[in-house]
Amino acid sequence: MTDTVDSMLDLMRRLPPTRTEENVAALVDICPEYADDLLGSVDQPLKLKTDRATGREYLVCDYNRDGDCHRSPWSNEYDPPLVDGTVPTPRLRKLEIAANEAFDTYREMYYEGGVSSVYLWDLDDGGFAGVVLLKKTMTPATPNEPSGSWDSIHVFETAERGRQAHYKLTSTIMLHLVNRRSDNGEGAKSDGRKRDGEVSLSGSMTRQTEQDWPLQDASSHITNTGRMIEEMEIKMRNLLQEVYFGKTRDIVYDLRSVEDLERARRQRDLQKELVGFIKR
Amino acid sequence: MDSSERIQIASNFLLQSPPGEINDVLNDVRVIISDDESLQEGVLPALREYNLAQFIVADVPGTKHQSIVSTAARAPPSESDSEASKDRFLDPRSKTSFAFDHITLEASDPQTYEPDAESEPLRGALETSTLSYLAAHYLEGVGCVYAVPDSPDMVIQIVANKYNPTNYWSGRWRSEYKVAVQAGTLSGRILANVHYYEQGNVQLASEHNVEITLPTGSRPPADLASKVLALIADEEGKYQTSLNDTYQEMGEKTFKALRRALPLTRQKIDWDKVLGYKLGAELASNKAGFAS
Repeated sequence: MTDTVDSMLDLMRRLPPTRTEENVAALVDICPEYADDLLGSVDQPLKLKTDRATGREYLVCDYNRDGDCHRSPWSNEYDPPLVDGTVPTPRLRKLEIAANEAFDTYREMYYEGGVSSVYLWDLDDGGFAGVVLLKKTMTPATPNEPSGSWDSIHVFETAERGRQAHYKLTSTIMLHLVNRRSDNGEGAKSDGRKRDGEVSLSGSMTRQTEQDWPLQDASSHITNTGRMIEEMEIKMRNLLQEVYFGKTRDIVYDLRSVEDLERARRQRDLQKELVGFIKR
Repeated sequence: MDSSERIQIASNFLLQSPPGEINDVLNDVRVIISDDESLQEGVLPALREYNLAQFIVADVPGTKHQSIVSTAARAPPSESDSEASKDRFLDPRSKTSFAFDHITLEASDPQTYEPDAESEPLRGALETSTLSYLAAHYLEGVGCVYAVPDSPDMVIQIVANKYNPTNYWSGRWRSEYKVAVQAGTLSGRILANVHYYEQGNVQLASEHNVEITLPTGSRPPADLASKVLALIADEEGKYQTSLNDTYQEMGEKTFKALRRALPLTRQKIDWDKVLGYKLGAELASNKAGFAS
């Protein structure tokens, strides 16, 4: 049983991140009995919905879903409407409202657009858990402009220990960047060749951290998770840009060399000869 | 879900395999489908399609070089056994045809063949130029030149693979050019695929199409061949440089347009301020916290 789930997860680690949704759906079709294991372990790009009451967009995921309905963080209402849908306790809902406002500011400062949503829920042991979702999509105005999307999913759990709170954070970022070019050979700088093409860079990565932070009052949970999530996103963005994307470029240069390898070889041979000559 | 639908899904997974990972994907699919019998037969068309599209290389029996398995490399269908000839390929360099097993990726049953006398001089000249171009710019490249049957046109194919599962990465560069002698055009396609999966899954997929006009006037095969390869070398060099520029631009502009490295203030967020004094005060009234 676990073998099947392991193989599914290994498969998802190999197949293109751009096709995660389609591939997860296909796996669920083949093995409906493992649907929960799979959906609980593989993050998928976030979907948008519009709050009927406020007209504001929000993000949907498994954590604000009840049956086929999703709860909006803005109005606390389910869509389609659900009379007895699960909602946080009034005290937690108050914190959820404040968290949504705080992360909306965070979103504006880092994303300058996009949509954010925060959902909190009570845990059986008395603590609570939550998820902070952020998504931004760039839609090109013309086919030659770059397009892309960023999805962040930060799931956290917290347990209070007196004046301290312990947090466990699991963060996933899914990123897709596309550059399209077409040159019909008539441009001023052109060499008369017709060219077109596309470069697609996509990736998904997950990281975890556990930290203790001081707790003054309930609002400390927002500043604490805020700092942790901000730190994590900075770290992961940097990893994706510098390490992961940089590595894919280096691999292209491992396949093909811009420099003439033969010439470099001849130069090395010549150098060796010279060194040998001097030693003699 | 019936067996054929499951095979269909399995085939679709196989066709998405990153460079050098087809066996890993096949192993995962075997566990997931857990029906080896129908899988073995059922996925053969997908494996064949993958191998042909990805320019999988084969060690040509009796030679020390490798040859590309692709649609252009297919041996002309034999009348006696059309099914078997589907998986026979030509290695024009050694004038050998061979049978290819799409599962084990092994070549067997080598047979020599007589090349077309009319096209062979140009084909051979293009091959010589292609091989010296490969030596100059590819670390482990394989290149083949095929004469298009019943036409003066030629197809040049190049593939370079690097598989490094220990360090969680793999890459493949493919290029293909059609030399249309009479039309005077050189049309090509460059495809690069890279997978880096150490604690993540990051993939590059790039495609570049180009159409170049060939100089007019007839010339000896060796001259034409070195001109064609000079044009290819120039285009591929330019493309690789432009790919590097694209990375730069994506890093500096697109990435930033999605999510800034830091806010405009160039400072991390002051969360106490973000929370707002009013909001904070309101929540502070819930002093007890949540565990109580």
